[in-house]
Amino acid sequence: MKNVLTEAKLLLIGIPVAIWTLLPIYNLFLFSISTKDDAFAGKLWPDHPTLRNFEIVFREQHHFLGKFWRQLGNSVLIAVAVGVITLLVATTAAFAISRLRARGGRLVLNCALFTYFIPAAFLAVPMYKAMSAYGLLNNQWALILAMITIASPYAIWVLKQASDKLPWELDEAARIDGASPLQLFWLVYLPLMGPSLVAVGIYALLLAWNEYLYAFLLLSKEDDLTLAVALGQFLSADDSPWELLMTTGLLYALPPAAIYYVFKRYMQAGLTAGAVKQ
Amino acid sequence: MASVSFHDIEKSFGSTKVIHGISFDIQDGEFMVLVGPSGCGKSTLLRMLAGLEEITSGTISIDGRPVNDVDSKDRDIAMVFQSYALYPHMTVRDNMGFSLRLRKADRKEIDSRVARAAKILNLDPYLERFPRELSGGQRQRVAMGRAIVRDPKVFLFDEPLSNLDAKLRVQMRSEIKALHQRLKTTTVYVTHDQIEAMTMADRIVVMHDGVIEQIGTPLELYDRPNNLFVAQFIGSPAMNIVEGTLRRTNGMAHVETPDGVRWPLGGGAGADGQAVTYGVRPDHLELGGNKDRGVPGEIIVVEPTGSETELVVRIGDAQMVVETHGRPTLQPGDKVTFAVDPANVHLFDRTSGARLAS
Repeated sequence: MKNVLTEAKLLLIGIPVAIWTLLPIYNLFLFSISTKDDAFAGKLWPDHPTLRNFEIVFREQHHFLGKFWRQLGNSVLIAVAVGVITLLVATTAAFAISRLRARGGRLVLNCALFTYFIPAAFLAVPMYKAMSAYGLLNNQWALILAMITIASPYAIWVLKQASDKLPWELDEAARIDGASPLQLFWLVYLPLMGPSLVAVGIYALLLAWNEYLYAFLLLSKEDDLTLAVALGQFLSADDSPWELLMTTGLLYALPPAAIYYVFKRYMQAGLTAGAVKQ
Repeated sequence: MASVSFHDIEKSFGSTKVIHGISFDIQDGEFMVLVGPSGCGKSTLLRMLAGLEEITSGTISIDGRPVNDVDSKDRDIAMVFQSYALYPHMTVRDNMGFSLRLRKADRKEIDSRVARAAKILNLDPYLERFPRELSGGQRQRVAMGRAIVRDPKVFLFDEPLSNLDAKLRVQMRSEIKALHQRLKTTTVYVTHDQIEAMTMADRIVVMHDGVIEQIGTPLELYDRPNNLFVAQFIGSPAMNIVEGTLRRTNGMAHVETPDGVRWPLGGGAGADGQAVTYGVRPDHLELGGNKDRGVPGEIIVVEPTGSETELVVRIGDAQMVVETHGRPTLQPGDKVTFAVDPANVHLFDRTSGARLAS
């Protein structure tokens, strides 16, 4: 009886939350299979469902979509680069702080924590100036470096916490076995950090994938833009092609969903690692 | 194989000194056990020998060569940890071969040495398994295998049996001892368990609060403990202890406790009237002494274990444990007399705790 009651309560909360979450996505989907006229008719299912919108997007048959594939490629390239480089920075930092007990490690960690207090939007203009000083404006590296800067502190923090959970004896055993710090890193540390690395890598990758403000500020050539910025441009016209915007949006949302699905197992293991004593 | 020597070793963590000038030598091929209560510095001493802990002052030598400034990996030692410290992502084979792989030994060499070690430890069927698929005892054996494969000068064991259940601990104890008799590699073994120390060691170092209380063979420590600490630490059940005053009259000596019990004593050291601590082991209190020379007691608890019977008795105001062979027909409340052979008693100065030669 008690179970039924608990179940009912959960459903009572779960159903509204599910509707709340899924409704916009359904709307996105609805627009993407509707003609322009159908889209605004306010129906729950279009009279004439069509895949024509997808065809337009894939064939770049609208002037807002002139560089769809190129911009999608940019998004992928930048997201992957940010994910990989952030991982590289964060794992080596976490390893040095947590396992090699590098001097000044605490300071680095405290600084990393401190950066949370500053909203990324605050730093947008200083970052723009900095990139301009480096001569990187209109270069995709500007966005990549900026995103790494924003993602790294959290990534270092999380990986440091995860590193601390590895038994210290493993390092000692490896040292006695004759491992140099670099061998320890490659042969013992990295393999054991797997789940956390996946979680943190995906975090950085999606942060970059979803970024709008910095991409908008730091990139301006149409060939360099990410899809997020390109989507924003749809709204610059008075008569926006909403059905195409929504179609592109749906396509844009698919890779993150796929990534979450594939790495679901690792994500859970990684993000909750250290939450409870095992 | 090698000898090991500790010379005047001190160790401080910050301003806390945990080891106060320790010196001793371990012979080539010897099985040396460091034993003591937790916090006595035994593990720290082992870790300094392993190169995992800096030596504050003093010199540790392996085979006559000081190793203070030598890296762990160049000391030619192998260590077995309490937590086993197996690499979870490697198979048993890779775990055991890891050190050789790091030393760039060729594949064939690694395989044959791993196979040899696996055979010694009966690990052949498990070589392709991961540590998580093994029982505690098997993991323990893999940890030993990892050490054997190296064929090091010295084996170090840091409380290797503490994580095993009682039955397995006894089994692994004899396996480790058998292994040592077979390989004859110098071994330093740390434990807080005096039974492990007694059963395995060639010699034992008893440590307490960062100093050595006594070094000797297991039976030397049992028969002639240098001081009260060793007397109480070594032996199970522990030695019975009473405090009293030494009395000498007409060439006869005894110890009188405040409750009026007179404990027999041989000749030996100590002055009349000296405050002493008197100790007698549970198996040296014998049932059925005669009334003149024995000490009277009352049975409180009878604990038969089959081959032996452990009695808890009250003698005077003191509660003591008596170990008897066989199965005496006794009930709680029975009044009995115990005979004590003066040759088997231990006498310590009460203030210093040092043994009074007897």
